[in-house]
Amino acid sequence: MLEINNLKSRVGDSDILRGLSLSVNAGEVHAIMGPNGSGKSTLAQVIAGHEDYVVTGGDVQYQGKDLLDLKPEERAREGIFLGFQYPVEIPGVNNAYLLKAAVNAKRKHQGLGEVDAFEFLKLAREKMAALGMDPKFLNRGVNEGFSGGEKKRNEILQMAMLEPSLAILDETDSGLDIDALKAVAQGVNTLRGPDRAIILITHYQRLLDYIEPDFVHVLSEGRIIRSGDKTLALELEEKGYEWVREAASA
Amino acid sequence: MKQVALSIDDLREAVLRMPDDALMATREAALANLDEHGLPSVRDEDWKYTDLGPAIDISNRWLANGATITTTSNDLLADAIAAIAGAIDANWLIIANGVIDTSRFDESSGIEVQRFSESAAPFVMDRPLADLNAALLNDGLRVQIHAATEKPLGILIIDETNAGAAVSQANVEIEIAPGCDAEVIEYQSSTGTGDHFGNSVITLQIGQAAIASYVRIQNRRIGHVQSGRLCATPGRDARLNMASYDLGGGLVRNDVDIDLGEPGADVVFNGLYLAGDGQHIDNHTRVDHRVGPASSSQEYRGILNGRCRCVWNGKAIVHAGADGTDANQANHNLLLSEHAEIDAKPELEIYADDVKCSHGTTVGQLDETALFYLRTRGLDKRQATQLLTHAFAADLVGRAPVAAAIDEITSLVESRLADLIQEEA
Repeated sequence: MLEINNLKSRVGDSDILRGLSLSVNAGEVHAIMGPNGSGKSTLAQVIAGHEDYVVTGGDVQYQGKDLLDLKPEERAREGIFLGFQYPVEIPGVNNAYLLKAAVNAKRKHQGLGEVDAFEFLKLAREKMAALGMDPKFLNRGVNEGFSGGEKKRNEILQMAMLEPSLAILDETDSGLDIDALKAVAQGVNTLRGPDRAIILITHYQRLLDYIEPDFVHVLSEGRIIRSGDKTLALELEEKGYEWVREAASA
Repeated sequence: MKQVALSIDDLREAVLRMPDDALMATREAALANLDEHGLPSVRDEDWKYTDLGPAIDISNRWLANGATITTTSNDLLADAIAAIAGAIDANWLIIANGVIDTSRFDESSGIEVQRFSESAAPFVMDRPLADLNAALLNDGLRVQIHAATEKPLGILIIDETNAGAAVSQANVEIEIAPGCDAEVIEYQSSTGTGDHFGNSVITLQIGQAAIASYVRIQNRRIGHVQSGRLCATPGRDARLNMASYDLGGGLVRNDVDIDLGEPGADVVFNGLYLAGDGQHIDNHTRVDHRVGPASSSQEYRGILNGRCRCVWNGKAIVHAGADGTDANQANHNLLLSEHAEIDAKPELEIYADDVKCSHGTTVGQLDETALFYLRTRGLDKRQATQLLTHAFAADLVGRAPVAAAIDEITSLVESRLADLIQEEA
């Protein structure tokens, strides 16, 4: 589904990704871990198409297409979803309106008609109930005045409505209490399926207690320095990142 | 800077050709005043951003051409009036091409209406362009609202010019009785392919403990010229809640003067201006706090795209002895083009001790982070831009104090924003 080959990217004057390669197949859940500044969020932003992150080398294939040729909105309509580490507050833009516009943008791209307003609301309310979200959030401004946990749940709600082929969740677990973490994890697990892939970017192993990854990768200085199965996350938790770094340079 | 002068001789001839009615003495006095002082120019501090050249040019051409007032009703104008009256359920007084039309007004509403020509009361005021208004005024309206009415009072100032140049005047005095709760909608519109200059003066006298809710919609044809003055005098413990929406016009100058001469008054007035290529929209506001306690609060917001210029000049004068004054002003602008210009100028003059005053002005572009966020949700750049600009405007649309006008304002703002974003390359 996603083939990243020797990807290099810079922001301003700093090289952040320095030859990152990663292969993600449908049905898989990958966790990307690493210390602060290792390039985790940059990877997410590059895949989503942020213009401030300049790609200086390598290529990314997504479902057989050159991903880097696509605009952010085209990537979204092709089934890529980025759950933001810091979801943006947009006062005045109604949450339900954005959800519907997003769903319709994707449907239009697929040659489908607009979603039925009644069905849409019904579905949104069901998904919200599953995430433990009060339906009143539908009529609020996007993330406006939401707590940290509410913002993350809102990201998961958007993901659930958009049903992406590839979901990248950037530190979705940060700042969540245990209830919110469980709700978010359940939302992600519901999405798991043979046709979808999920990339979890996380700092801590805690999230992986609730969403079991097929692969764990450790990112350091813009490269994946070690890959393994879920036991790698536990080992990291125990021994710290320094251990992998030393092992990698040895 | 040299400015074209108004042709006083042609103006005099036009005034002398007007009917010899109760307004004649006032017209002649206004003419003498104009002859002596002329119209304001960019040398005047209050007019330094706005050159009345186009208004004077249109006036001169119209005056030279016989200064005829189109009184014939025609389909285009009738259709435009019907569309507005259909969109907003109000009790409409219409001034079409400067001529009063009460055919859509329900006299049984309890609102009392008199024409200036039916009484000899003077109406000229010492304000720029008010003398031009008085000199060329066909007739004016004096409206008294004694009690709350089922429908808001609507004042539709509408013009149509299909060839050459035309000028029209509108003058309305509104008096709201003490303790009365009144809703007023002022709607300015124009159509036609000719050049037009509309000049209006509206006074709003709000009785003791009365509440006035006032909505002002300016949706003139892009390219047409408007000067609109609104003077409000709230009485003791009176409230004024006003919102103003500028969507059309070419050269537009609005003056809002609020004179707080009685204690206990509370005034909130907000404005939204949306400007695109070739538009110049100037909002000058002035609040005189003469006594305290009293409060005034204003927030104007602008969205500018293409080659355009907007002005917001908010003046608040707290006179000596006006202790207990609370005056706030804010102006926020969204500039979507590097060719758009905003001149934002808060002016506070404080001569009293116990006052609370604040002002804030911002000028910015769209939030890039929010744009990217929306694009990652599948919205294209234009859609995302539209959503964000719409959100910026929506807050002020929501503050329209007259419920009957909200749907129309919403739809006008949406359609104007869609046009503005379209202009973006």
